[in-house]
Amino acid sequence: MRAVALRLGGVLALLGIWWAVAAAQIWPPVFVPTPAAVWEQLLKTSVTGYSGYSLADHLLVSLGRILLGSLYGIAAGIVVGLALGLVPAFRAVFGPLVTFVRTLPPLAYFSLLIIWLGIDEPPKIALLFVAAMPPVAVATAEAVRGVHEDYLNAARSLGVSPWGLPFLVVLPSALPEVLVGVRVAVGVAYTTVVAAETVNGVPGIGGMIRDAQRYNQTDVVVMGLLVIGASGLAIDLLLIRLQRLLVPWRGKA
Amino acid sequence: MPSPDSVALKGVTLTYGRKVHALDGIDLAIEPGEFVAIVGPSGCGKSTLLRLVAGFARPTGGEVRVGGEPVAGPGPDRGMVFQQPRLFPWLSVRRNVAFGIRRHPGRDARVAELLDLVGLADAARLRPYELSGGMQQRAAIARALAPDPGILLMDEPFAALDALTRERLQEELRRIWQQTGKTVLFVTHSVDEAVFLGTRVLVMSKRPGRIVLDLPHQPDLRETVSTAVRQAAV
Repeated sequence: MRAVALRLGGVLALLGIWWAVAAAQIWPPVFVPTPAAVWEQLLKTSVTGYSGYSLADHLLVSLGRILLGSLYGIAAGIVVGLALGLVPAFRAVFGPLVTFVRTLPPLAYFSLLIIWLGIDEPPKIALLFVAAMPPVAVATAEAVRGVHEDYLNAARSLGVSPWGLPFLVVLPSALPEVLVGVRVAVGVAYTTVVAAETVNGVPGIGGMIRDAQRYNQTDVVVMGLLVIGASGLAIDLLLIRLQRLLVPWRGKA
Repeated sequence: MPSPDSVALKGVTLTYGRKVHALDGIDLAIEPGEFVAIVGPSGCGKSTLLRLVAGFARPTGGEVRVGGEPVAGPGPDRGMVFQQPRLFPWLSVRRNVAFGIRRHPGRDARVAELLDLVGLADAARLRPYELSGGMQQRAAIARALAPDPGILLMDEPFAALDALTRERLQEELRRIWQQTGKTVLFVTHSVDEAVFLGTRVLVMSKRPGRIVLDLPHQPDLRETVSTAVRQAAV
């Protein structure tokens, strides 16, 4: 209850400051739109839409891209992470490469992806995939290397073959950290989706923001940002739920 | 033809780098059904000896044979219990015990029988972290026994438990050993535990690790072993 009250209080305080700054009219509304204007845009976009699509359409298309890019990224991240953690030679060759990709800003390689893959869905999904993969790979690799050898030895004594170990012992042991990596990866995919939608991004929440920026519709831009943030928060809460469900032993064993 | 449950070490040496002799020329023959307690100060190589028999490591010299065959790696003929229970936290107690016999027919009946043997029948559905330390170690023993190994290797399995639980588990282990007739290699740093459990007690000395005493169970064993361990520690 206390936590809920605190959070609610925090949001209300921020809204109050925003409202006060906007009402003081230090800057024109094109820089700082009022909360009321943004709220109005939220309603209008939900009902009549923006750039020919309703707010729900924009959001769902973006969420679909995030979901697809994250899923590919998570799957590849787990495979790469396992290899990095288990095979020293693989780690020596590809470890630096993963770090290299991880430090690149997504927008930098997006141009390359567009040249290679065109301007439709493939480069967007590819961008989210490239962005989401490294956090999972790094988390998985670290977790894999951290598995206590007693667990591996116990399993080997119980007849598990070297090929069975990664699936029967290593991955389940690493699952808590892998899921932390998944949370980070989905977060990265979220922050990258706007970049992915700068080119031919309508429908899409990032495309909508991009269009609104061209026409100086700051209230739409702010509304879009709030929608992205709120949906991201909701998804992270879902992931935390999933974490509790899948790794109830976390911190206890 | 040696029995499949016999253990034989011949001139076993384990050296780390050039200078550290963890084990130095160990000769040891263990007959099926023996309960061999290995006691010694920390760093004497008693756990290392167990790891060699388990197949987790290889000697740098000499030979370890189980059932007459050189040890090439770990296997379900040698069950292992560690100081920490090391149960798989993502599996229930029942599935932990079933881990070594995942594909065996009659698995469920065997698991139920083992849970009965270690007194955990009511805890089958629980996750390891929901058990006390003593219960976790019982489950670990049941897990190690599941593939019906002829040899049970135990590396200070009760060292992390409180005194009361330890005593109770010692008695239960003795009962389990009597019921199953396994060959047991039991490493401990407690003289009392070694003398209470072992039908045969080995004392090892510090680096280089050597066996300095090897006696069958007898009335005045405790004094003899205590003295030997004290001398081995310096």
